[in-house]
Amino acid sequence: MSGLRRRLMRLAMLALFLAIWEAAFRVGLLSPIIFASPSLIVSAAIKDGWTFLLAFRITVFEIAVAILIAWTLGIAFGVVAGSLPVLARISAPVLSALIAVPLVVLYPVLIAWLGLGPASKVVFGVVSGIFQIALNTMIGVREINRGYATMAAAMGANRRQIMFQVMAPLALPAIVSGLRLGTALIVIGVVLSEMLGSTDGIGFWISYHRALFNTGQVYLGILLALLIAGLANAALSLVERFYARRTVDQPVP
Amino acid sequence: MIAVEAVGKTYGSGEHALAALVDVSFAVREGEFVTLVGPSGCGKSTLLQILAGLVPASTGRVLINGRPVTGPSPDTIGVMFQDAWLLPWKTAVENVEFPLALRKVSAAERRKRALPLIDLVGLASFAHRYPDELSGGMRQRVAIARCLVQEPRVLLMDEPFAALDEQTRTRMGSELLQIWEKSGGTVVFVTHGLTEAIYLADTVFVMGTRPGRIIERITVPLPRPRTIDMIGSEAFGRLRNDIWHLIAEVRT
Repeated sequence: MSGLRRRLMRLAMLALFLAIWEAAFRVGLLSPIIFASPSLIVSAAIKDGWTFLLAFRITVFEIAVAILIAWTLGIAFGVVAGSLPVLARISAPVLSALIAVPLVVLYPVLIAWLGLGPASKVVFGVVSGIFQIALNTMIGVREINRGYATMAAAMGANRRQIMFQVMAPLALPAIVSGLRLGTALIVIGVVLSEMLGSTDGIGFWISYHRALFNTGQVYLGILLALLIAGLANAALSLVERFYARRTVDQPVP
Repeated sequence: MIAVEAVGKTYGSGEHALAALVDVSFAVREGEFVTLVGPSGCGKSTLLQILAGLVPASTGRVLINGRPVTGPSPDTIGVMFQDAWLLPWKTAVENVEFPLALRKVSAAERRKRALPLIDLVGLASFAHRYPDELSGGMRQRVAIARCLVQEPRVLLMDEPFAALDEQTRTRMGSELLQIWEKSGGTVVFVTHGLTEAIYLADTVFVMGTRPGRIIERITVPLPRPRTIDMIGSEAFGRLRNDIWHLIAEVRT
């Protein structure tokens, strides 16, 4: 009963919020040039909804491919580098520097190489996030006590088995925190690259309509971009929950 | 049979070179229980790692059953350390299965071989517990079972009970002897505890430090099976005293 009432209360609050928002435009308190009213966003959705849906699909696809590549290569490199002291010493400062560099300066070069299509967005997304993932994984693996590796070697594990069946699972907490940071950077990288130069995608339509002062469409795009970030976060939480069951701290019943 | 022939180990080179072991030679019979005892820094752990093939010797060589040791050979040699290094996301029985999993033994076969060993080390009711639900002694029991699952003929143990309290250490020693008497393998056991060294061994090798080397080979005259009461006997005390003097004299 109280659950239903709370839900009704929430709906009422939302309606009130939207009404005040809309009213602020009607009385001229907010300018439709800088900010969109709910009705503007709705009419934008009716007019250009299909275009935005297709763009949404493209952006989600680009981000998904970039995540797949950056996670796989970033974790693999981090585990190998973390297990080999020489490689770790060389790559730690390089990775830190690459994270600090404003990689967006690379984007015009990527367009020259790969064109305006999805390929340049995927690659820019990958380079945005992969270094953070690799660095965190490497540090995580390096901090695991070498006793585990010695033990595994004594049991006949080969190098690959030590890295991926012993050290990587032990380093999972650090790897997952790297994935959190890296995935956020990938989402930013893909949307940003669409805004800078492309022919489709959420980012493209945001900057397109911004140029035409179609404020409703701009905010519709922003809402969809937020939705994508939310989806990426939810996917990450799933991964986290899946591994929490098999990683270090098992609850004592 | 284990034959250690003029093994030396030097860390670093030039004027910073540190001799950890110099000219170590000894032999261990098939089925013999040998302890290596000595002060910290005498290179006993290094020697064990060389026997296990985990660390290469700088000079000399180690033969196990006539074959020189060049790397880990888990089907011949089981190794145990002071810490069990159990994988925290695997249960006790899954940890015992791990060496078999590394060699792609099927899941059913692994379970069939691991469970009797969990029984043997007295952990039947803890088979499906995770390492952080087990005490230090229980974790080392899992490590023993994990060694035995590969059916090695040689067990190399590097202070396996050093982190345990005294009662647990003594009990684990007795149980290890029972397991050893049943399975009949060869054991090389490193410890800094004189009582433990004598109580377990057929032969005690006493090691000295700077540089690490073997200073004496002592045959323990106590009959088997060993009992806790023997530790209080006069013969045991005299032996313990002799070894103590050997170590103390070399040091001063």
